[in-house]
Amino acid sequence: MKRIIISTLIILSVLSCKKDHPVDGDGLLITPRQECYVSNFELLGADYVTVLTKQPVIDTTAQTVSVIVQFGTDLKNLFPQFTLATDCKLDPKIVGKVDFSDLANPKEYNVISGNRQISKTYKVLITVQPR
Amino acid sequence: MQQSYIRYISAAIFLVSTTIGCTKKEYKIPTPKDVLQNDCIKRTQGPNIVGQTIEFAYAMAILPEKGKLTNAKVEATIDGAAGTWMENNSYYTNNTGVDVGISVGSTSVTTKNVTTVTFNKDTNAATLRYYYVIPDQARGQSVSFTFSAESSDGETVSYKMGPYTIANMDMKKGINLTDGGLMYISIADMAAYNATDAAAKAGSIDLVYLYRNITTSAFNFALVSPAADPQYLPGVTLPTGVNRSTYERKVFNLQDYNLAQMQYGIYIDDPDFQQLNMTNDPNYAINLKQEAGVWVETADHKYRAYVYFNTASTTTKNAVIGIKRYTL
Repeated sequence: MKRIIISTLIILSVLSCKKDHPVDGDGLLITPRQECYVSNFELLGADYVTVLTKQPVIDTTAQTVSVIVQFGTDLKNLFPQFTLATDCKLDPKIVGKVDFSDLANPKEYNVISGNRQISKTYKVLITVQPR
Repeated sequence: MQQSYIRYISAAIFLVSTTIGCTKKEYKIPTPKDVLQNDCIKRTQGPNIVGQTIEFAYAMAILPEKGKLTNAKVEATIDGAAGTWMENNSYYTNNTGVDVGISVGSTSVTTKNVTTVTFNKDTNAATLRYYYVIPDQARGQSVSFTFSAESSDGETVSYKMGPYTIANMDMKKGINLTDGGLMYISIADMAAYNATDAAAKAGSIDLVYLYRNITTSAFNFALVSPAADPQYLPGVTLPTGVNRSTYERKVFNLQDYNLAQMQYGIYIDDPDFQQLNMTNDPNYAINLKQEAGVWVETADHKYRAYVYFNTASTTTKNAVIGIKRYTL
């Protein structure tokens, strides 16, 4: 009887240690999803109010996000916000203000799919509205 | 045997707990202390700014059969500025919620740091309000208050309040701006000038106020440095010598209570200015509106300020602003 109980406990503990849900280096769940794209984009000014004059144009083939910002926008102090396909993640991470003032060299962000197998680089193209 | 013990003990605990639980304590009206008593509250909130008032409500009472109040006194550790006084009215709130004042003493007398009210009515309980106008010499220091009362039977009682830190910053409200008129703002003077006066004070003009209704872009109300790109100063000819560059950062939803006097309990205090880093900020702020604000740092890094738009009228092109300023 004792042997049966001990064996059951060992089997249960081994089973409980098995990892069903793998996570990546950021502690995020790795899933089977292969979708890898930007679905929406927002750009906030230093006052946390949008600086976009209209909806962004996202080209998932050319992998670009094109936006027009208001005249007078302080391009050095902007907060970008990406909406990605389910389970995707962004690299580099956005941790604060971003300087978008170098319009000749647009900022690039990698979108990585849920299964972490696909990576696509998106460029953020900014145009300043004329006065 | 063991089971019967457990049964007896359980029954005993049950009986004791029900007996204690059923004891009814009769409410008794508390007996008032038969000595002169006092209490005090501070009525104002937020930072203590030079030129502003700190308000207290000081309550004192003695049993009628023991005597009456003769005088109330407040001693501040730093002399209050002109306008420091104590009310000689004691207030009660009537049925409609209005505070009604009843005169209980002579007008307060302030000598240096001591303010006194002498009671001239038979009063055995009163709450007097004390208004301390913060003097310039208290800037950056701490100030404390000792409230005291005396009764006809010779008793005295006192209550200490504070210490309260007095902010380093200054504040000025109700600065009128007019597009094409009083549009040149000096942070050092916390004032707005017209072009003629601005030319005479060219070295201290930090911002230019303007309103433009441009159909192709959102320009609206703006505070722009004289040295900013001329595209942010459309139609403005700067007075001779007005050329400073000021760091600016637009803010929305920061309705400081002292400046805005609105329902929001937000206060900008010295630490907010101390922690500000504006080295990467532009020298213009456009598309402003009523209730918007702008953090500012002057070109000589002498002042940091918060400029708040109380009103901004698109029809008259006028605005009223308030400034909180911190000297670095």
